[in-house]
Amino acid sequence: MTVEAFAPGMYPRSEALVQATRDLDRGRTTEAEVDAQVVADMEELVGVQQSAGLDLLTDGMLRWQDHFRPLLQAAEGLETGALTRFLDTNTFYRAPNATGAPRLDGPLDERFSPAVPGLRVATLPSPYALSRGTGVSATAMAENVLRPALTGLDAELVVLVEPFLAHDDASPGDLREPLEALANGTALALWFPFSDAGRLLEQGAAELPVEGLGIDFYATHLDAVPEELDKLLLAGVVDTRSSMPEDPAELAAFAGALAGRGVERIALVPNGDLQYVSEPVAREKLARLGQAKAAA
Amino acid sequence: MKLLTHEVGSLAKPPWLVKTSQGRELDESDIEHARTWGEKVGVEGHEELVESLERGGADPDEVALWSSRYCVRMQESAGLDVIWDGEQRRSEMYAWAIAHANGFEPRGTVRSFDNKYYSKSAAVGPVSLAEPYHNAEFSSLQPIAKATLKIPITGAYTLAVWSYDEHHTPKSGRLGAGYGRRQEVEARRELTLDIARNLIRPNLEALIDLGATWIQIDEPGASTEEDELDLFVESFNVSVEGLDCRFSTHLCFSDYDLFFPALEGMSGCRQYCVGFANYDTRELGRSATERPGYEVISKFRDLPYEPVLGLGVLDIHTDFVESPELVRDRILYAVDVFGDPARIDVCPDCGLRTRSWEIAYDKLRAMVEGTRLAEAELEA
Repeated sequence: MTVEAFAPGMYPRSEALVQATRDLDRGRTTEAEVDAQVVADMEELVGVQQSAGLDLLTDGMLRWQDHFRPLLQAAEGLETGALTRFLDTNTFYRAPNATGAPRLDGPLDERFSPAVPGLRVATLPSPYALSRGTGVSATAMAENVLRPALTGLDAELVVLVEPFLAHDDASPGDLREPLEALANGTALALWFPFSDAGRLLEQGAAELPVEGLGIDFYATHLDAVPEELDKLLLAGVVDTRSSMPEDPAELAAFAGALAGRGVERIALVPNGDLQYVSEPVAREKLARLGQAKAAA
Repeated sequence: MKLLTHEVGSLAKPPWLVKTSQGRELDESDIEHARTWGEKVGVEGHEELVESLERGGADPDEVALWSSRYCVRMQESAGLDVIWDGEQRRSEMYAWAIAHANGFEPRGTVRSFDNKYYSKSAAVGPVSLAEPYHNAEFSSLQPIAKATLKIPITGAYTLAVWSYDEHHTPKSGRLGAGYGRRQEVEARRELTLDIARNLIRPNLEALIDLGATWIQIDEPGASTEEDELDLFVESFNVSVEGLDCRFSTHLCFSDYDLFFPALEGMSGCRQYCVGFANYDTRELGRSATERPGYEVISKFRDLPYEPVLGLGVLDIHTDFVESPELVRDRILYAVDVFGDPARIDVCPDCGLRTRSWEIAYDKLRAMVEGTRLAEAELEA
């Protein structure tokens, strides 16, 4: 059994960056000053991850307003739609809206995927999540928007965040063709944050053409994991909807329970974006994630 | 035929209040803001504030009181019938309530959307009211308001669902154990009803004792959990049952279909103030196809206790100022659906806190003008 740890998704902004972005909206500071604070936040985050001994580093997506925004702003044929609640959180996003045939002409601006000093985990929306409600097929989104974005990412692993599939009663089979359209040699993982993935696993999610699967184990029972799973299991063991710090020993023991089901490759991860807790809470959770990895 | 117009909640705090509160130096544009708006909306004695700001060292509490007066007069000047002070003296709708409650601890800042954030606390023990937290503002506004006062207060369910719960949630044993929704809902139920009984209700009683006649219980978090809508309804009823006051609620940015049939049990609510413009087109027209954002309003019409609908006609997330004609058409469509104009009030989708005073004022004036156009057509 191998046990890694890392934190895909959006990391919370520090109080200083919160204030800087508020000031920007109110005309009290400049883009350059906000950008300097973003860089400072990212350097701090990298240090936290390195101290915790995490295996892959994230830039924290600190410039992303939500999981879709940079793609909607850069692609032709897409725009921001209604402000929409993200699942049962108190955080909202602008839902994608299609105005024509979506097309991204190249990678996203590097400001949205800045380099980190080490092996990198990057995050993009899954084709289903991006296409949801737009009338555009997930395959078309994969081919014409996500694939160009993926091409520009220098990442060890790209996590495709898929928050809606389990809640929509959709089939994991609907993702097979879009995921095949994304294949370009980059290792991909499909992450089901804040979702009971039991039904998806029953319906063959483990057979999808991705390197890894991300499961929220605060919503999904251990028994739902197929025995002898031959993928990297991104085990969501840090609860980002809770302010309580996890007990590293409990997380390590859980990794042992997963190994008991024959899972060979485990990555301990949060069960969703860390942005649902404040930065000091997230920082503590990352530290404990690292301690859990060390103890596993 | 008179259609009531009212604000829903918060307005932006002016720069002279923000800077004074933060101990920052004011510049000439801040003082000019106070002077211009004082003249524009008719704030009696605003010269006194301007002089105080020019001198420097103004007392932040006094400046906040002035800001309340400005917002009251701004809404009255825009022509609104029912007003509040835009929450000028509250830190924020969640933080203000939690700051006056026992049983919570702060846990930092979390994003609401884009560059908007809120402070989030955790329930760490039994909840109780530390002190009534809207009495001072109500008492200060009562003597100066010319229009009807409606006090917004954040509801129990929203306070619960916007908080972490470290008191009722198990600290361990949930991982991979199928700790499911049933247990989550039960934990939330305990927290929510604790807040309703021991924080909201005594606060309502204190306001009613002071003479409040209309209290709006804000529940922007009400639809957060589809399977907890009955709990939201129960918490509303527990909060207000038997109290002598007009109670309304404010819901926003939700899939409103989810609220039905749960709202059938919320008979203590005399008005639902609901945001729709955010989902609507900007084209003129009074048919269902031209007003897609208002599709769900027939469900509010059909509630058995026949509440009034506070119709959201201003999208508060954009500087786009709705034309009076667009407001008129949204109102007339709703009146047509309800078949009874007495059951329609007119309001913004939500508080206009994220807009500048200039934009908020223009939007509110357009709303009032559009309401007058609708009334004229209804009377013709």
